[in-house]
Amino acid sequence: MTDISTPAIRLTGLRKSFGAVDAVAGVDLAIADGEFFSMLGPSGSGKTTVLRMIAGFELPTAGTVELGGRDVTRLAPFERDVNTVFQDYALFPHMTVLENVEYGLKVRRVARRERRERAEQALASVRLEGFGGRRPAAMSGGQRQRVALARALVNRPKVLLLDEPLGALDLKLREQMQVELKAIQREVGITFVFVTHDQDEALTMSDRVAVFDAGRIAQVGTPEEVYERPRSSFVAGFVGTSNVFTGDVSRALFARDGVFSVRPEKIEISADTGAPGTVAEVVYAGAVTRYVVDLDAGSRAVVVSQNRHDGAPLAARGQRVHLTWHDEHIVEIPPVAKETAHA
Amino acid sequence: MHSGRILLAALAAGVLTLAGCGGDGGGDAAGSGPGGLTVPKIDKLAALGAGEGEVNVVSWAGYVEDGSTDKSVDWVTGFEKETGCQVNNKIAGTSDEMVALMKTGEYDVVSASGDASLRLIYGGDVAPVNTDLLSNYKDVFEGLKNKAWNSVDGVPYGAPHGRGANLLMYRTDTVTPAPTSWSAVFDPASPHKGKITAYDSPIYIADAALYLMKTKPELNIKNPYALDDTQFQAAVDLLKQQNELIGEYWSDYTKEVQAFKAGNSVLGTTWQVITNLTKADGAPVEAILPAEGATGWSDTWMVSAKAGHPNCAYLWMNHIISPTANAGVAEWFGEAPSNRLSCAETKDKNHCATFHAEDEAYFEQVWYWTTPLARCIDGRKDVTCKDYSAWTQAWTTIKG
Amino acid sequence: MVGLGSYLHRHPRLRLAGLLSAPLLWLVVAYLGALAVLLVSAFWTVNGFTGEVVRQFSLGNFRTILTEEVYRNVALRSVGVAAAVTVICVVVAVPMAFFMAKVASARSRHWLVIAILTPLWASYLVKAYAWRILLANNGPMDTLFDGPGYGLPATVLVLAYMWLPYMILPVYAGLERLPDSLLEASADLGARAGRTFRSVVLPTLVPSVFAGSIFTFSLSLGDYITVQIVGGKTQLIGNLVYANIGAANNLPFAAAIATVPVLIMVIYLLAVRRSGALEEL
Repeated sequence: MTDISTPAIRLTGLRKSFGAVDAVAGVDLAIADGEFFSMLGPSGSGKTTVLRMIAGFELPTAGTVELGGRDVTRLAPFERDVNTVFQDYALFPHMTVLENVEYGLKVRRVARRERRERAEQALASVRLEGFGGRRPAAMSGGQRQRVALARALVNRPKVLLLDEPLGALDLKLREQMQVELKAIQREVGITFVFVTHDQDEALTMSDRVAVFDAGRIAQVGTPEEVYERPRSSFVAGFVGTSNVFTGDVSRALFARDGVFSVRPEKIEISADTGAPGTVAEVVYAGAVTRYVVDLDAGSRAVVVSQNRHDGAPLAARGQRVHLTWHDEHIVEIPPVAKETAHA
Repeated sequence: MHSGRILLAALAAGVLTLAGCGGDGGGDAAGSGPGGLTVPKIDKLAALGAGEGEVNVVSWAGYVEDGSTDKSVDWVTGFEKETGCQVNNKIAGTSDEMVALMKTGEYDVVSASGDASLRLIYGGDVAPVNTDLLSNYKDVFEGLKNKAWNSVDGVPYGAPHGRGANLLMYRTDTVTPAPTSWSAVFDPASPHKGKITAYDSPIYIADAALYLMKTKPELNIKNPYALDDTQFQAAVDLLKQQNELIGEYWSDYTKEVQAFKAGNSVLGTTWQVITNLTKADGAPVEAILPAEGATGWSDTWMVSAKAGHPNCAYLWMNHIISPTANAGVAEWFGEAPSNRLSCAETKDKNHCATFHAEDEAYFEQVWYWTTPLARCIDGRKDVTCKDYSAWTQAWTTIKG
Repeated sequence: MVGLGSYLHRHPRLRLAGLLSAPLLWLVVAYLGALAVLLVSAFWTVNGFTGEVVRQFSLGNFRTILTEEVYRNVALRSVGVAAAVTVICVVVAVPMAFFMAKVASARSRHWLVIAILTPLWASYLVKAYAWRILLANNGPMDTLFDGPGYGLPATVLVLAYMWLPYMILPVYAGLERLPDSLLEASADLGARAGRTFRSVVLPTLVPSVFAGSIFTFSLSLGDYITVQIVGGKTQLIGNLVYANIGAANNLPFAAAIATVPVLIMVIYLLAVRRSGALEEL
């Protein structure tokens, strides 16, 4: 899937400072042709700034941006073969939906007939046939989002950049759009770079994920790698919930020094074997029930258990329990948190 | 909201009604003249009381000087100290402005010219003056007392102040040779096109009429303020032609001083006081009385019928015609004083001679501003003359 | 007081009436009332000699205005001046406002807004007389540009200077509301700066420009002071109104003339209403 030899995007030593603040503090990354690549991180981690430097809206303080092997670091947005779907969609309010979609083709002087055809096609691909005559203001959030997608895709860019495009949608619509986006990407076969702070979104849609922390990439990998083998406690904590044990607790639980992580769904509650503790909280959440257990070893652990039967809790608040897990689910986090991401 | 809508509806209905019965006489100038009018009965002040502490004055520029323009020119401060009447002065640029200001009833005294005085008297805006209360009145030239513009049926309506002529000012560095005739401002081929100025008031039509009186005898103009249709049209045409030459019209004297100083204006009508101020500003200007004679003014201090400070008003009137103050104004403004004792008080001992103070023959050449009436004031009975409202509307047309 | 407060709380209409009655009264009496008096007095006349108003219905004033060529000329000239001032203001204000809203940094933006607003604090007369000196013979404008001197062009120039802030501010406000992402989206779709300005910025600015033009147009249409100071012998509608109130003391005729700009503004407002400019005010 990931043909690294001719990357669609290559970022080298990318930095961006706003005054004294380093928004991006050195990013190296290669994204392969046709990849669905997500940049995941909390707000302020630099992921959007990286996206904006790829699009050309921001000029890097240092480093280079290559698109398809060409150095575009100093080129203006209109000179780059990428298109962007904005968080607020950025539809032109004074144009109809069709005019919005046609805009890029019109600017590039595509003949009227072809322009119209391709725009209708693009609208059809996002299931908005017949909406061309409407104004953006007369459409729902999900529809606007799809217009923005059509407006970008109609230009057949090499790379499509998506800046938290689902952030403004409600949960149901968001989940539906996640599936659709993935389908569209598979259909058109172009590189998608998807910025999000929602780890579920990143894990479900992406071929690979880069986790951003404080202007740097903390880890790059497939969703499975990032989730199952977090390489820093930040990644372990940000991607999904994780129980991270250090110091004396590590020594008590794993009989050696180091930082260890165990995912809550990998832990089982048992009556008599494993690490002892007391249930501090029981939270029923439909499909699963979450137990917060104060370990005697001195830390707190979260356990998630599927409600496979009648949903009756495995333990009650205040109850003494033991926690067990398989050795292969223990992730030892490398001691040096600082790492450079290798694609 | 409700009442607003009713009001609008009423308005709309009113307009419709008015529009429906339209067509009744528009240009009815019926009452235009003292013939059909009576003077409103207003009592004169019987006795002088104590001053009220202030007096509100409407005056021509240069008539009320307290030393703020020129330190040595001050006849107000002494008066204020002596009488305790604080003088609040409002300068008017034209007679029309004076009439409008006096109609507000907020002013006590006014230095009215002949084209304003009768309008004020018949409009009931000024009261007759009890001359017994003015100790200096006895020294005023007899030739200025009880004239058509300051009295009605022998009842005096004011204290004569002074008289003078509207002069022709020019810049000595650009206008050569020096002009001697009003033709300088009417010549269509003037080399000073675009830099000529004229007084911005309908009464300026009389200046054109005066020029025509001397240069076009066939028009038979006897008095520049009594113009029948033909004569009026000739004057208006002359002024429309002059409009091509005009850079700007002036009524604000500071505007004229600045224009002459900068050279935007180099030739045009003026008052002596403006010439004095322009010279004081360092601009090379002179003023002359052209060969044709000139329009001019004979001013009268009048007291408002609604004066809030009548005693201070009388004190002021008596002061301003006193020999020293009268001499001061006369010299500063550049006019002939009204008090015969003033001639001894002027700094320039020749002032009264220069301004022909006692020369009634000279002032026969000067046509004092007078309000034009429909009943010709030159005595003709067979024609109707253009009244002042016609002059006003013509003035708009002239300026285009 | 508690009783009254809770009573009013339970009767929102009464509360509204109490809140609005004073301003509404002001609107009806002082504003519409004044307009009504103006309209009515336009049908009166004035005694040509004493200047007393004759309260008798007459269409004479309007007949004079409609038949005398000079009033038509002055009205057309005034509309021309107002239109020219508006066009100049638009041409100058749009790039300036664009710079302020989209290019300048947030901190300098505040200073720019202040710089635009400060001249509004200076007296109108001071500014007009300053221009009279700038435009005088051998004055700075004359020396530098062989200047326009006093006259119609000077009037347009000075009025454009006077009313520029009233154009910049609504355009600036309109641009501030224009999301940056629209400009980025346009560039992203391949448009260069000029194309973006034409296709995205200008169309979204139309209502703001019309809103500003309502100010510049009506203020220019009513002006009589600037033209007196720098206009040379030019007269505009405002001068005729002023001359008939101040000099000629013919209030009814002045009222009749004053209905002309009112009429022009009503026509103008109806025309721009379609653009949505009134929502921008």
